[in-house]
Amino acid sequence: MTAAKEDFRLGCGRADFRLESKEIRRQDVWRYLGYRGSVPDAAVREAVEEAIEKLLPVLEARAVYRFFPLEIIQAEEPFLSFAGIRTKSRDLSKNLSGCHEVILFAATLGPGPDRLIRRAEVSHISEAVILQAVAADAIELVCDRLNEKLRLLAAREGCVLRPRYSPGYGDFPLEVQREFLQVLSAGKEIGLTLTEGLLMAPSKSVTAVIGVGREREAAESED
Amino acid sequence: MNTTIERLQNERLFWDGGTGSILQARGLQPGELPETWNLTNPSAIEELAYEYYCAGSDIVNTNTFGLNALKFPGQVAKIAASAVEITKRARARAGRPDALVALDLGPTGKLLAPLGDLDFERAVSLYGEVAEAGTKAGADLILIETMGDLYEAKAAVLGAKEHSDLPVCVTFTFDGKGKLLTGGNPAAAVAVFEGLGVSAIGMNCGLGPVEMLPLVREFAALSSIPVIITPNAGLPFVENGKTVYPLSPGAFAAAMRDVASAGVQILGGCCGTTPDHIRAMIEAVADIPYRPQTEKAHCFAAGFSGALEIGKKPLVIGERINPTGKKRFKEALQKHDIDYILSQAIEQEDAGADILDVNVGLPGIDEPGLMQDAVTAVQSVTALPLQIDTTDPAALERGLRNVNGKALVNSVNGKEESLNTVLPIVRKYGGVLVCLPLDEGGIPETAEGRLRIARKIVSAAESFGIQKKNLVFDGLTMAVSADPKLGRVTLQTIRLIREELGLPTILGVSNVSFGLPLRENLNAAFLTMSLEEGLSLAIINPNNDAVMSAYRSYLALSEQDPQFSGYIGCYAGMEKKTSVKKKAGGAPESASDASSAAKDTSDGKTSASGPDSPESGLKRLYEAILKGLSAPAKELAREALKNTAPLELVNGTLIPALDKVGKGFESGRIYLPQLLMSAEAAQAAFAAVRDRMAASGASESAAKGRVILATVKNDIHDIGKNIVKVMLENYGYEVLDLGRDVPPETIVDTAIAEDIRLVGLSALMTTTVVSMEETIRLLREKKPDTKVVVGGAVMTADYAAAIGADYYAKDAMETVRFADRVFSN
Repeated sequence: MTAAKEDFRLGCGRADFRLESKEIRRQDVWRYLGYRGSVPDAAVREAVEEAIEKLLPVLEARAVYRFFPLEIIQAEEPFLSFAGIRTKSRDLSKNLSGCHEVILFAATLGPGPDRLIRRAEVSHISEAVILQAVAADAIELVCDRLNEKLRLLAAREGCVLRPRYSPGYGDFPLEVQREFLQVLSAGKEIGLTLTEGLLMAPSKSVTAVIGVGREREAAESED
Repeated sequence: MNTTIERLQNERLFWDGGTGSILQARGLQPGELPETWNLTNPSAIEELAYEYYCAGSDIVNTNTFGLNALKFPGQVAKIAASAVEITKRARARAGRPDALVALDLGPTGKLLAPLGDLDFERAVSLYGEVAEAGTKAGADLILIETMGDLYEAKAAVLGAKEHSDLPVCVTFTFDGKGKLLTGGNPAAAVAVFEGLGVSAIGMNCGLGPVEMLPLVREFAALSSIPVIITPNAGLPFVENGKTVYPLSPGAFAAAMRDVASAGVQILGGCCGTTPDHIRAMIEAVADIPYRPQTEKAHCFAAGFSGALEIGKKPLVIGERINPTGKKRFKEALQKHDIDYILSQAIEQEDAGADILDVNVGLPGIDEPGLMQDAVTAVQSVTALPLQIDTTDPAALERGLRNVNGKALVNSVNGKEESLNTVLPIVRKYGGVLVCLPLDEGGIPETAEGRLRIARKIVSAAESFGIQKKNLVFDGLTMAVSADPKLGRVTLQTIRLIREELGLPTILGVSNVSFGLPLRENLNAAFLTMSLEEGLSLAIINPNNDAVMSAYRSYLALSEQDPQFSGYIGCYAGMEKKTSVKKKAGGAPESASDASSAAKDTSDGKTSASGPDSPESGLKRLYEAILKGLSAPAKELAREALKNTAPLELVNGTLIPALDKVGKGFESGRIYLPQLLMSAEAAQAAFAAVRDRMAASGASESAAKGRVILATVKNDIHDIGKNIVKVMLENYGYEVLDLGRDVPPETIVDTAIAEDIRLVGLSALMTTTVVSMEETIRLLREKKPDTKVVVGGAVMTADYAAAIGADYYAKDAMETVRFADRVFSN
């Protein structure tokens, strides 16, 4: 693989998604609501359907991503370096072993769901809880669709992707969120910001790192 | 030479083009803050400004887009001064003494509360600091740009205007659907920012000139002030690892011809445009005649996501957020129970209100503070425009300052004192001003007398710089029971104002029936008569079916309801119902529906007593709560209270039903949504009990205990806390809900002041558990006898113990059980 070709992916992009009702995974929504393996009664199932119909029109699913080279700096305590972020996270190192690049992405449903849920918290708390579960599945769906788009991009270069890994998972500290959002210009690009307490606002949002490895090496390191 | 404002108003001016995109090409790293180059690489910044001035830009921005004290603590003044100096040097070197330096202000990168945690006044001061420093350094005007949130842009404009005398321009970034990131549209932007007195308004970034064109036309059609359009060089794509903007200087210039022809006064570029783009654009539009923006007569009110035109189709203003004559509302205000106000807001919007009146005036209350809290909170649950209703000038100012949108102001009258206090406030913040045609001489008895005062108010407003188009006049509804001819005078006033002044009118309709029985009959008829005279805004109770039916019927009969969609949407299939409330969650509304619905769901089991006996009514109520059917539960409780004492109903039916559900939840047979649906049904039944006790003059039974609930400092997720609140209230506790992002001091001070025995704290993440720990530490120190129960996504029993909590509750039911233990001692 030539250097020029590798450069291809050192880019960035924006993606907007339109979600349809049929894509929302009911089983997952039910699971978020506490139903593990069991099916809710008709009233709750109907409430879930109503929540989906209310939520979809108010969400604006937007994502931004950017490729960065990944360096593993060998020191007394080895650390990872990408996008100006340095971390000693062992869990992330394991996730990224065999990768030469990472994709950073941020995705959000925009402020609409937050407003809708706040409204329901005042008027119908049960609806708020159900909207919350639907929104959780919707943002996962957005991540999955973005992931698929990136997988295809990477595959064109003979590369494969690792499962996405978010700040706050394992020992990958939440504090990297600041650099994370800044390097993606997430505020300007998709309206995603951080609070003092490092919560994302709008709250129905996800940031993650995806490792990019060459097919053969990735397969080997997974053995 | 003309002043900067005159030039903005009377000349075609050219702004500069992209900065960030060019600096990146000149070595700025991703993630590196461009503003640092004002100090570390000033020559690169000067060179770019120089190139723009040479290309013909009349206005060049300073390199201060992201400059604020959040990103550059302690360095704002230095960087702003340096940036202005650099741009002035470039202007001198280019030999363009005629050209201008614009102090550039972009978004803070934070979301304002209530969506995020940036306080509005903090945002105002962040912008104010930069504006002051840039003005001191010699900038000619201020540009607030790339704004994706109307509220943040409002904070920026206030910050700029309160710290600088320079003209302020503002441009927004819209997506392809014509929406801002937080939902605003061009009409709302124009309404709000003309009101705030900006010198020019428009769009930048996000889109190319071709994609912008439909929005450009909207701005040109709506705006009375000059329009600025600075697009990107098309929609970018990635090629060989680089972001590429597709439009060449020639292509960009050609597209900008269409923008100029659409009636735009001020043109420039944004990302991807270069000095060559600007040069080509200036050449390309040279033969397109300059047209100044004309004054538009539209009167708009706006919420944060859109604008409503006043004076076209008549609109409903919901009057229920008002303590006058409402015991429950007064109590809520005294207890700072904002959620109660919010429930009134939601109910009125669901019932069809277009605008919400907000009145929180009560003797002995901090009305300005409460007005601010109410306005902010109401706007966290509804996008409707608001009407700030107060006689306290301080409360009016706080309301107008904090409102996200363009509000109506209720009200000013013809008295000198009123004019002199209200007009300056409206002049500063903008708004649609409700004018009462009365003065020191009282209320004129004739329509002509009222018209005379109206004319006086118009000229007073204009002399303060408030345009006539932002005035609406009240016809002054009087009680006909006092004098039967007063109804006619009000109607004549509406007609005269419309015919003679050409202005919209407003009425508080229900005053007309004061002192007479079945007031809604008179209110509905009077509303119809007023609408026929051309009434624009009706202040009514949208929850009242008779009045809303009159309103909707009038629209349908006066060709203002295309295809009868409003009327049919509301009333189709309701022929047999007595109640016509707009869908309340699809639940049945009338008592007979309610009991049959509950019967249907009682698994066919019939009680030993007859179907209409009191026993079967209680049984159905019990079932309705188990099934989580709110509307039937309320109706059944009302029915049952005819034969059953309130306390007996609570202890014999409501509590047992709640207990059954609670135990089911604890044993894992019932899930959270069902638990909460049942809780809501019980709430509805409790409300009926409270109404009944209030009606019979009985005092409410004392709470089992008083509990503080709060989501801790820095945490803004409070759904968990709100679930616990509903459950505790159902189990007979009084909850002092302090909200979210609550500082430890507030919690501790309230616990001391109210002598609270139990505090419940919620935190979502490890980063905010720190605040929880701090709160507990402070509480132990200052009020050691108070127990603390904690919960939240990352909490565990061990974690709770480690930070010193008394108890970890894994869900709402556990919190209730713990409260029972605390208060049974």
